[in-house]
Amino acid sequence: MRRSGTVPWFTVVVVALALSAGAGLPAAAETVKNPDTMVKATYGEPETLDPAYAYDTASGEVIYQIYENLIDFDHGDLSKFVPMLATQVPSVENGLVSPDGLVYRFPIRQGVRFHNGNPLTPEDVEYTFERAMLQDRSGGPIWMFLEPLLGYSTIEELAKDLAGVDSFDQVPPEVLREVYRRVDAAVEVEGDTVVFRLARPYPPFLSILAHGGSWSSIIDKEWAIAQGDWDGSEDWVRWHDPKAENDPLYDKANGTGPYRLVAWEKGNQIILQRNEDYWREPAPIKTVVIRNVQEWATRQLMLQSGDADIVTVDPPYLEQVAAMPGVRVLRRQPWLANTAAFFTFNIAVEGNDFIGSGKLDGQGIPPDFFSDIDVRKAFNYSFDWQVYIDDVNMGEATQARGPIPASLPFFNPEQPVYQLDLRKAEEHFRRAWGGRLWETGFRMTIAYNAGNDARRIAAEILEQNIESLNPKFQIDIQSLQWPTYLQAYRESRLPLFIIGWLADFPDPHNFVVPFMHSTGTYAAAQRLPAELTREIDALIDRAVSTTDPEVRRDAYYRLQQIAYEQAIDIFLVDRTQPVVMRDWVQGWYPNAIRPGEDFYRLRKASS
Amino acid sequence: MIRLVARRLMMLPLVLVGTSLIIFALSQLLSPYQRVATYVRSPQELKSFTLDELVRKYQLDAPLTTQYANWLRELAGGHLGWSEVAKEPVWDAIVRHFPATLELTLYASIPMAVGGVWLGTLAAVRHNSWVDHASRVFAIVGWSFPTFVFGLLFLMVFYGWLGWFPPGRLSVWATQAMLSPDFRQLTGLVTIDAVINGRLDILVDALRHMVGPVVTLSYLYWAQLQRITRSSMLDTLRQDYVRTARAKGLDERSVIRRHARRNALIPVSTVIALMVLGLLGGVVITETIFAYPGIGRLLATAALQLDRATVLGVTLFYAVILVLVILAMDISYALIDPRVRIE
Repeated sequence: MRRSGTVPWFTVVVVALALSAGAGLPAAAETVKNPDTMVKATYGEPETLDPAYAYDTASGEVIYQIYENLIDFDHGDLSKFVPMLATQVPSVENGLVSPDGLVYRFPIRQGVRFHNGNPLTPEDVEYTFERAMLQDRSGGPIWMFLEPLLGYSTIEELAKDLAGVDSFDQVPPEVLREVYRRVDAAVEVEGDTVVFRLARPYPPFLSILAHGGSWSSIIDKEWAIAQGDWDGSEDWVRWHDPKAENDPLYDKANGTGPYRLVAWEKGNQIILQRNEDYWREPAPIKTVVIRNVQEWATRQLMLQSGDADIVTVDPPYLEQVAAMPGVRVLRRQPWLANTAAFFTFNIAVEGNDFIGSGKLDGQGIPPDFFSDIDVRKAFNYSFDWQVYIDDVNMGEATQARGPIPASLPFFNPEQPVYQLDLRKAEEHFRRAWGGRLWETGFRMTIAYNAGNDARRIAAEILEQNIESLNPKFQIDIQSLQWPTYLQAYRESRLPLFIIGWLADFPDPHNFVVPFMHSTGTYAAAQRLPAELTREIDALIDRAVSTTDPEVRRDAYYRLQQIAYEQAIDIFLVDRTQPVVMRDWVQGWYPNAIRPGEDFYRLRKASS
Repeated sequence: MIRLVARRLMMLPLVLVGTSLIIFALSQLLSPYQRVATYVRSPQELKSFTLDELVRKYQLDAPLTTQYANWLRELAGGHLGWSEVAKEPVWDAIVRHFPATLELTLYASIPMAVGGVWLGTLAAVRHNSWVDHASRVFAIVGWSFPTFVFGLLFLMVFYGWLGWFPPGRLSVWATQAMLSPDFRQLTGLVTIDAVINGRLDILVDALRHMVGPVVTLSYLYWAQLQRITRSSMLDTLRQDYVRTARAKGLDERSVIRRHARRNALIPVSTVIALMVLGLLGGVVITETIFAYPGIGRLLATAALQLDRATVLGVTLFYAVILVLVILAMDISYALIDPRVRIE
């Protein structure tokens, strides 16, 4: 080949040019570029712009700018609410919540207009929630209304229950009309007020309504019907569980928010324009662009040149941007997500390769391996949080103290946690299974979903530490495709599965249910023993059926204590997130549950 | 000539059926659970549904023949299906992404072909001179560079440092201008639409954004073209008829242009057509680096996320293009070489 000699020479010149590029830049950082436009460069494409359909943060970020809720969190404080399209936050004290916690009244603000000029009415609010419940797309977020308002987690379940049939297709028309009547009765208009009638007291209800950028965003009834959506009549099945393409609102938007949708160039960018007729002060920034830029180096150059004001940076690249002039990096911003390694107490045996021989003979593990608390504690003492946080999460995490993340109310900051302690791990392993485990050893497989390096390394940390204790201990690590992984843990075939939870609403209830309740997404797959879940379920139910904060605190503290004492999981980390922006971006504030930025609060000014 | 065209066009349906069958069969190698991945993104989404229910809902467990028949029925109704990655019908996604790639192809193929042929001719005519060596070095460097290295270096220097050629397809102001009601979007090719609307500022902006991907793409192809043109020219220059032409006393320019190069271009035109085809198929890496919303990026994303409808739709579309480009190639042979016409 003729390559030798020529390539290095050319490369050296270009690299030298490129390196000097960085050095020559700082002068440009002084003046604000595109002062009335805010550009965010990120990756991830919205699923839909229909608030009742969306269940991902990329969609939520766009919806958040366009639509508004009845109430909002007070500037990122997840324990305080402020009115938005409602003029007051209901409470028992102001008489808008009934003393039994079953009726919520929201007086609706006058003089607010949607982007198309239609006035906001209480009927729009009623329509929004009824439409959402009847649409209830499979896998969607609307269980959050159905549970408190109707006592079911899907509308199909309610219909099947009323009709006494097994399949939704068999539900007769009169029962479908009855379903509509129940939905209709749950949300009603009384004068200027919208009334929600709950099936049971549900303390997180206000949190669910305040979560911006999603399910609770108020849409315009007249406009939605004009787009071909549900017409408000009792004939609703046609609009139930649509595929994205049949959802009339999937790529249109008409809210009351500070920005209106100009264009969604799918795969490329979203352009938003300031709503000049906004009911509050119009936003300082005229145009907002959310660009989909997959390549990190390109995003980095856009940030460096000032063409992007805010960019998404994965933790490994934080060091690079931290050194960039004119760039501000905010580390460890709160983010309502946590990760844990879950023990399966009663592993499914059928065709299961993850447990070796399926017996305690040194070549496998028995199905009830983790029902021995010494095994669970030994695993906990074998995990190295420091390495996991510093080297895998690049510092963007803190050790979890249980199922409830630190930024939520009723989190117990005093809750003790396990630490890496191989001496204690060995003690517990020696005691486990009446001492037999230490003699015979074991072999098992920890799986992770392919491509998720954080989970792979968590498994490797356990592997290394546990195998170092006893040569007869063997842990294998295997990668699975994401859906196969989900399937395997749900069928209780994985002895140990590592997975995270991203909050639906900022309330401990949203974490203790998946992590601990006998029907919870993860706990059910763990097959926690009945004698344990009996107490847990009772505590969770007590905590969610009262609005008394004292009672709730006691219950959640006790739940966190049980999680620790019983070592039901290895609680790994509460995740945080880094935020990277040009230093001319002003007004950013943290909010652990907001999907993306609050562009309404942002301005550009040289610092 | 007309018969040639007609015969090729008649082959089109066969090619499409074949392609769709192959892709469809290949996608069956993935289990229904792998294929349902496009629909499940978080554990939350499984709160009220099991994977089995979703597999049944999207008919992923139906026999291959049923699934293929369903898809053909949709296709007959003019639907290519729903693209999970593009969040719109597959056909709409193609219509929106293809003009961007087509435009890139148009602008990249001209410097690519002209530059490559010129370099190759130059090298052959000045055989073994310093010009020959220099042009070969220049081309080989391009050949040896991985696309992402060259593209990123280009971006660093000409965007990061000099601020000349930004990534993307248009600046925000230009996009907004194009989206305004008084701008008529006719072709989807922004440069042409800008000219039609008499908006020179948008034209300049679009061209500025295109320099990066165009230079990256053409430079990488120059080496191949240079080499093929050079050897083809060297061959031709040794032919008797060239010697005859020279003996007749024709000047060197006419000998090279009218006699030698015309014949030497036959293999070259094949290579050019194949390169254009490659460009049209979407140049994934270049489009990704320059954040250019073309069809290559669409197809790559769809393949990564196992979005079958999109992969199938784009592949079929690509098959149509393939047949058409090969047809154009045959016609160009006939134009370059009269002997082909006789066959």
